[in-house]
Amino acid sequence: MSEFSISAAPGRRTDNASRTDRKKPHRRRGLGKAVSVSLLVIGAVGMIAPFLWMFTTSLRDAGHAYDLPPQWLPTQWQWFNYADAVTGPVPILKNMLNSAVIAIAVSIGMIITAPMAGYAFAKLEFPGKTPIFVGLLSSLMVPAQVTIIPLFLLMRTFGLLDNPLSLILPGITGALGVFLLRQFFLGLPQEIIDAARMDGASAWQTYRLVALPLAKNAVSTLGVITFLGSWNAYFAPSIFLNSTETATLPLGLVLMLGPYGAGNVAQVMAATTIAIAPALIVFLVAQRWIIASLTQSAVKG
Amino acid sequence: MTTTTHKHSSAALPPGGAGRPTGPGLTDRLSTVQRKDALTGYAFTAPTIIGFLVFVLGPLLAAFYLSLTKYNILTAPKFVGLDNYIRMFRDERLATTYGNTVLYVAAAVVLINGFALVFAVLINQRLPRALTYIFRSAYFFPYLVALVYVSIIWQALFQKDTGILNYYLAGMGGEKIDWLNSPEFSKVSVIIVDTWRNVGFSMLIFVAALQEVPKDMVEAARMDGANEWQVFRRIIIPMISQATFFNITITIIGAFQIYESIIVLTRGGPGDASRSVVMYIAEVAFNKFDMGYASAIAVTLFLIIMLVTMVQFRLRKSWVNNE
Repeated sequence: MSEFSISAAPGRRTDNASRTDRKKPHRRRGLGKAVSVSLLVIGAVGMIAPFLWMFTTSLRDAGHAYDLPPQWLPTQWQWFNYADAVTGPVPILKNMLNSAVIAIAVSIGMIITAPMAGYAFAKLEFPGKTPIFVGLLSSLMVPAQVTIIPLFLLMRTFGLLDNPLSLILPGITGALGVFLLRQFFLGLPQEIIDAARMDGASAWQTYRLVALPLAKNAVSTLGVITFLGSWNAYFAPSIFLNSTETATLPLGLVLMLGPYGAGNVAQVMAATTIAIAPALIVFLVAQRWIIASLTQSAVKG
Repeated sequence: MTTTTHKHSSAALPPGGAGRPTGPGLTDRLSTVQRKDALTGYAFTAPTIIGFLVFVLGPLLAAFYLSLTKYNILTAPKFVGLDNYIRMFRDERLATTYGNTVLYVAAAVVLINGFALVFAVLINQRLPRALTYIFRSAYFFPYLVALVYVSIIWQALFQKDTGILNYYLAGMGGEKIDWLNSPEFSKVSVIIVDTWRNVGFSMLIFVAALQEVPKDMVEAARMDGANEWQVFRRIIIPMISQATFFNITITIIGAFQIYESIIVLTRGGPGDASRSVVMYIAEVAFNKFDMGYASAIAVTLFLIIMLVTMVQFRLRKSWVNNE
């Protein structure tokens, strides 16, 4: 069950750290550390500054949006840009609702289908298991741009263009989630499964009542990653959806920005601040899990 | 259901040997269990497999087929053999957009992974926990935000007369740069945003790998008189090669698909100066409705990405230190 914790490594680090301390001269290391912290601070400022500028600009009236020298702290606390952004010609609230509906539907679908498949690939025996899994995995190599034209034609044939289903249906299954959950279930001791089966539980009951509850963290992580992926998506929505009413939030914001950034910057930044909020919340709540599950596949391979 | 008998007979078997027959009566029952297991396996994987067939494999094969046709949506696809592929060699816009894309890929591989490795090494030192957390968070956050949104912010920062970037450049005695409308700097802008957004993810991969490097090994090398550079070059680099491979593959694949940042920043311009091949595919397919030709270009993109992935896997075996 240590699948999703990378906390084992820091523990080991402190063990060895004290040993290193005794043997190494302090002064040069201290200087090196000061330099590296400074570099890290410069980098971190560079990462955060654009977001800070976005937020403070969203609080200014349009006349001061491009004030130079740039003001990094809010000079005005004018929330009307937010009100104007959501009542402007682009129906940002409707777009946000569209995005939310699609992202929630896709996430729910994914956290139902991927754990089931991941469990089957990890714990059940059936003919063709390995080839099917390899085939699924290789779909990770297929870029969305290659399948987009046939998918567009498919959606068009079934009258699903300009309909959220064109994004929901392809989104509710996916190889990445299956892979992540398979990794988790592989780490689950077989005895737990066997014990449940011996007690007369059906395969479904074993999965639903024994295995799945243990995968709670992995499933939540998958849900969060899927939600964000859908919330942030631009390519497929930009091709399947073509009216402002059905547009998702990223499409709405690009519309609002207008060609060559001609839109009202303060309003655009207000809308962008709203659009970024879910990522910020996810980041604050679930950063640890996401980082752990994203890095484990790369390092443990 | 003979639950009790089943329970007893299974319990008598060695663990994990549920499929091994021990008596004639048992064989039947177990194979029933096995068959049920198989059915369950198929049932559990069915939604995923159906999704894969309908939304990935089917469309992929269809793309190959369409690439051999002339198809404008209004009339049925007409088979034209390899015409679309031959046409690519004479298409100057394709050469330009592929050229731009390859530049984006090269820049991504070098800049994203270079910065990521430097920051990872710096962050991996014994810093106070809170500091490590803050740095890690700051670098990772842009990766969670949609590329569209960060591009919207950046296009404001890149503005020639009103943008912050030029203001600070001028302050340092530099000249104002036309970030978004000059043939050279439009590409630079795209690269800056791409690097800025993705560096945090690659950094985390490197950090995770660095934490796996045995400290004893590093310490032993230092005691043998190795300097920091030698330790880095001879021990750290080989030990994190798997993460390096992963990162390089991910950045190559990601940069080949670069799309929405360019739409927001430069709209591909001036002319085609910053246009990526994916933008060109979308234009040919959904503005000109030349579905056959667009599919052919898309297929080349797929083949390149597949090749890159396979080369990485091959090299991985010889390069990667698996000790």
